[in-house]
Amino acid sequence: MKTFTRLVTGQWSGVAAPLAAALVLSAPSTAAAERKLDEEPAVRHRLLLVAKRLEATPMFESTINADFRHFIGGGLKLEYHLSDMLSFGGIIVGSTALDTKLTKRVMETLETCDGSPGNTQADCDMSREPSQTELTQHLNKIPMHGSVYVSLTPWYGKLAAFGKAFVNFDFYFQGGVAFASLKSACEDAVCNDPSPGVDTNPGDPMLGNPDDNPNNDPPLNGGFRPGLYLGGGIHVFVNDFIALDLAVRDYAFKDNPSGADFNADLFVSDVDSRFLHHLFVGFGVSVMVPFQVKRTR
Amino acid sequence: MRGRNLRSSTLATTLAATLAFGAISLLGAGFGLPGATAQPAKPPTGGDDEIEMGGEGDPAGPVDGGEIEMEPDEPEKDLDADLAAETDGAVKIDTTTRELKPVSWQDIVVVMRKPFLKIRRTDLMPFLSTTMNDNMVRHYGAGGQFNYFLTDVLAVGVEGQYYSKQFREPFDLVGRQARRLPTINKYNFSAALNFHYVPVYGKFAVLDKKLVAWETYFTAGVGVTQSEVVPRDPRFGSFTNLLITPNIGASMRFFLFQWLTVNVGIRDYIFVDQFEPVGRTTGMFETPEQAKANADSALINNVMFQVGVSFWIPPTFEYTTFR
Repeated sequence: MKTFTRLVTGQWSGVAAPLAAALVLSAPSTAAAERKLDEEPAVRHRLLLVAKRLEATPMFESTINADFRHFIGGGLKLEYHLSDMLSFGGIIVGSTALDTKLTKRVMETLETCDGSPGNTQADCDMSREPSQTELTQHLNKIPMHGSVYVSLTPWYGKLAAFGKAFVNFDFYFQGGVAFASLKSACEDAVCNDPSPGVDTNPGDPMLGNPDDNPNNDPPLNGGFRPGLYLGGGIHVFVNDFIALDLAVRDYAFKDNPSGADFNADLFVSDVDSRFLHHLFVGFGVSVMVPFQVKRTR
Repeated sequence: MRGRNLRSSTLATTLAATLAFGAISLLGAGFGLPGATAQPAKPPTGGDDEIEMGGEGDPAGPVDGGEIEMEPDEPEKDLDADLAAETDGAVKIDTTTRELKPVSWQDIVVVMRKPFLKIRRTDLMPFLSTTMNDNMVRHYGAGGQFNYFLTDVLAVGVEGQYYSKQFREPFDLVGRQARRLPTINKYNFSAALNFHYVPVYGKFAVLDKKLVAWETYFTAGVGVTQSEVVPRDPRFGSFTNLLITPNIGASMRFFLFQWLTVNVGIRDYIFVDQFEPVGRTTGMFETPEQAKANADSALINNVMFQVGVSFWIPPTFEYTTFR
């Protein structure tokens, strides 16, 4: 209060004048500095852990929540980072197939058609349900799949675990083209319908009625399938050139995993294939080349 | 008492040094003194805005594409030598009160204070969730959590959620293609008492512009879940089960404001569920009571993905330590 009074009464005018001038002069410069700060990068002197580096990632991949078969396998991801945010690359994975619990439970209850009394092939042909062999051989496999993609890394940062380990990480998102090689192996003795859904004896109303048994139709779920790819993941850097890579990937392409009649027209055709998402989780160890890392200004 | 004196004298020294440095800088700027214009050397222009760490070649030579080498020529600094060195005009600080004396510059870690404090604050979090691991029926959940933070890394809380179900494609396919009726339970609601522990925290930059703090926390708790049988034959009635449900999970929390955070996480609700018996038909386990008495049991891991928004009470906090 005393200071305020003295300022008003002019006793401090010798101090007040330069102070006021400084305030007036500093106001625009402060605003300009704030504007300039807004244009500055959020982090200076940060390690460019991916920019202009080739990333090679041996990896493991497994389906998430698959319906009839899990696909588990290993592969390689190669990616070149044009900058710290933009990169392109490709993934190729070889997989083996494991029946899901759903498939196992259904299988346990199906007829075996092993020739025992009441369980002959003729008995099986009379029923509408598939035999164990028919169900198994209609399911397809994905021995190989992969993608070619463009990747965006909008988030990077640093984390502390238990107050001890301090590591760098980044989040990335990928989009591109997927491909898959599907394998279907139904034996001729099982898939023995030469013309599914076709009346082979149109003149005879009793014989060769329009085929109403999809269980002996070829599954039509093999071959090469192109599609779309989306993915997202995180790099956790162990050091300047090795990172743990955890990702969720969606390979979407036309497929009919069960190889059975989907649209209830009582025969299997290409129409039964539909555009399906195949979700995988992947874990790998990324090696960045060159090993030396750069730093921003 | 001695600590307080030391802190006071240190503060005073720091303040004095700051004021002196500011005054000298102003004078230097005004009079063009070379020693006072402590501007960094202007970086090379016309190249990428980055520098090399441990690069090859002659570090003193020109840098290709505007990049300069980071491998320093100067020898590593020695803390002991620096501490022992007399500096003109500097105030000598009594360091004898320190129990642990750092042995090198590498031992001195500069850590920013946390941008968000949770201690003695309450977190009210409405959330949505969905099933991750059931290929027959997907549940959508809506619920809330109420967590109180005992410390900045430990919280205790309660949660409750209500579920609605949606059959997935294999539910129909199994019936239509394999001629089998799946045995399904739906979940009605669940509640739990939980403990949360935060071992990991960090920050990240979004598009190199904005910094966001985040943390990872683990959850463990126990509660109850009510499940309800979906009868294979709608002529028969359903029955419900109240199940003891331990749960574990991991989540991430992103700090947007002092009063608001966004959480995403995965939670595994573990229980032994009671299912409709396989042989239920006319004359056998017809009533819900009979079916429940002869129910089939199975261990279930109901893994849910959760997204929530936390509102913090009180909405602001104050730091109790110096920056």
